[in-house]
Amino acid sequence: MKFNKYLKDKILTISLFFLMTTTILLMLLAFKCNISLIVAILLTLFIFNITFILIDYLRKRNFYNLLLLNIERLDKSYLVLETLQKPHFYEGELLYQALYEINKSMLENVKEYEYAVNDFKEYIEMWIHEVKIPLATLVLMAHNHKDNFDKKQIEQIKRLDNYIEQVLYYVRCENAEQDYLITENNLDKIISHIALKNKDDLLENKINLIVKNIDYKVLTDSKWLEFILNQIINNSIKYKRHDTKSYIKISAKQENNKTILYLKDNGIGIPSKDLPRVFNKSFTGHNGRLKGSSTGMGLFIAKNMCKKLGHKIEIKSKEGEYTELQIIFSKDKHYEVVK
Amino acid sequence: MKRGDFMKKILIIEDEESICNELSELLKNSGYGAIVLENFKDAKNEILSINPDLILLDINIPYINGELLLQNLRKESNIPVIMVTSKNTEADEVLSISYGADDYITKPYNPTILLLRINNIFKRVEDHSNLYSYKDLTINLQKGVITKDKKEISLTKNEMIILGFLLNNRNKIVTRDELMTELWNNNEYINDNALTVNISRLRNKLKEVEEEEVIETKKGLGYILL
Repeated sequence: MKFNKYLKDKILTISLFFLMTTTILLMLLAFKCNISLIVAILLTLFIFNITFILIDYLRKRNFYNLLLLNIERLDKSYLVLETLQKPHFYEGELLYQALYEINKSMLENVKEYEYAVNDFKEYIEMWIHEVKIPLATLVLMAHNHKDNFDKKQIEQIKRLDNYIEQVLYYVRCENAEQDYLITENNLDKIISHIALKNKDDLLENKINLIVKNIDYKVLTDSKWLEFILNQIINNSIKYKRHDTKSYIKISAKQENNKTILYLKDNGIGIPSKDLPRVFNKSFTGHNGRLKGSSTGMGLFIAKNMCKKLGHKIEIKSKEGEYTELQIIFSKDKHYEVVK
Repeated sequence: MKRGDFMKKILIIEDEESICNELSELLKNSGYGAIVLENFKDAKNEILSINPDLILLDINIPYINGELLLQNLRKESNIPVIMVTSKNTEADEVLSISYGADDYITKPYNPTILLLRINNIFKRVEDHSNLYSYKDLTINLQKGVITKDKKEISLTKNEMIILGFLLNNRNKIVTRDELMTELWNNNEYINDNALTVNISRLRNKLKEVEEEEVIETKKGLGYILL
């Protein structure tokens, strides 16, 4: 709150005061009063008025300055009311009350959306569990009646499953805090699950899976990590090169306080201009357009999940040569102590 | 396929009829006896009276939650349980395992992998020694050695896994896919060519001690250990 602006705002009061003073002065002169009395009266008027303005200014300044300052300091500025004491002047009280009411109605509004989003999320999760039942039945049918199913149909079922998983994890990582559980997991066990899951695809596409040095323990949610790795492996399969013997190399390394998991393929790679954007939502890029069936969601969800789990995910690639994903797990000293 | 007294009874606890049917068929085709739980109301006592060798248990079942049922069951019985569910969270898995589930597998699962897990549990329960005798051979899978009289042949890890799987499924056709799944399940991520090479190496090694061909190729189907 600036003093000059405050004065400007009080211009009416101040002009009225000057008008009143002038009138009094003229009246005193007209009644031929003693000069000393006139001076004394004018001085008294001035002093009291200035004091009045100053006191009023200071009272308001304390409240408004704190209000402005706290709004600036808080990252959630709607909480500012909680940091202030109820002011002791009328305008302030009005403002305080108004802010309180506005806040309340806004919170109710937000809550409504929160309920709606949660309802929707719950429904989607339930729906996903439901839809997995016919999917599981289909997979079993395909296995039991091999004569009636061919590999292409099974491939389509697998695609369905993958898209459904994407929705599930998108919903989970966008909305919930408590949907994951960090425990100590063996990388080789997680890789083994992923390998088995993609076995048919890898063999069908004649991609060699080379796994080395992954006997490390990391702190993560195994289901989430499996989903992340599955997205990466799916990409490697989808974007393999046809003019060479394809491979996917998986390895890990321990460094100081972190474990790094490498997944490298010798696929078509990513153009350098696309590389910085591959983790963006709905980004399909040159390769996506090439294959036509890219949603641009896989890596975006993977990155978000890594963020929630506290892992880092990085990508390196050279067009026409390779793509390498790195997932970096840091070690938690607290966990060591608790253990 | 062995039938009768040796047949293992597997109880399916699952309220989705279509899955029950397909699952029963899958298990029956693999030489197991499949029973579907009909009455969920008094599930625990039903289970105890059926007394199966293994239970496939879904989490979402009527009347009682699968995890709770497992917890109650564990107070009275040690029947191996595999949780088979569409709930795919770490928390559910940790909870199930802590209640005493032997394994946890999520829908939609690869049927070959499910069969493999079932097989693994039976192996664990029976506490198979790693010594097999086949014809006049002694096979130590742990060490990877075949002995006949004084002659000793050593096997590589892949050959061992293949031979072990064939021995556990004697007189039964084993598909390439099953062998591949078994190998991949043991973290040996080999390709089709390598499997062919491994099988022919294993055959050659067996020929050194056995006169006749013991691993027969069934064209289009797989292999069979005679």
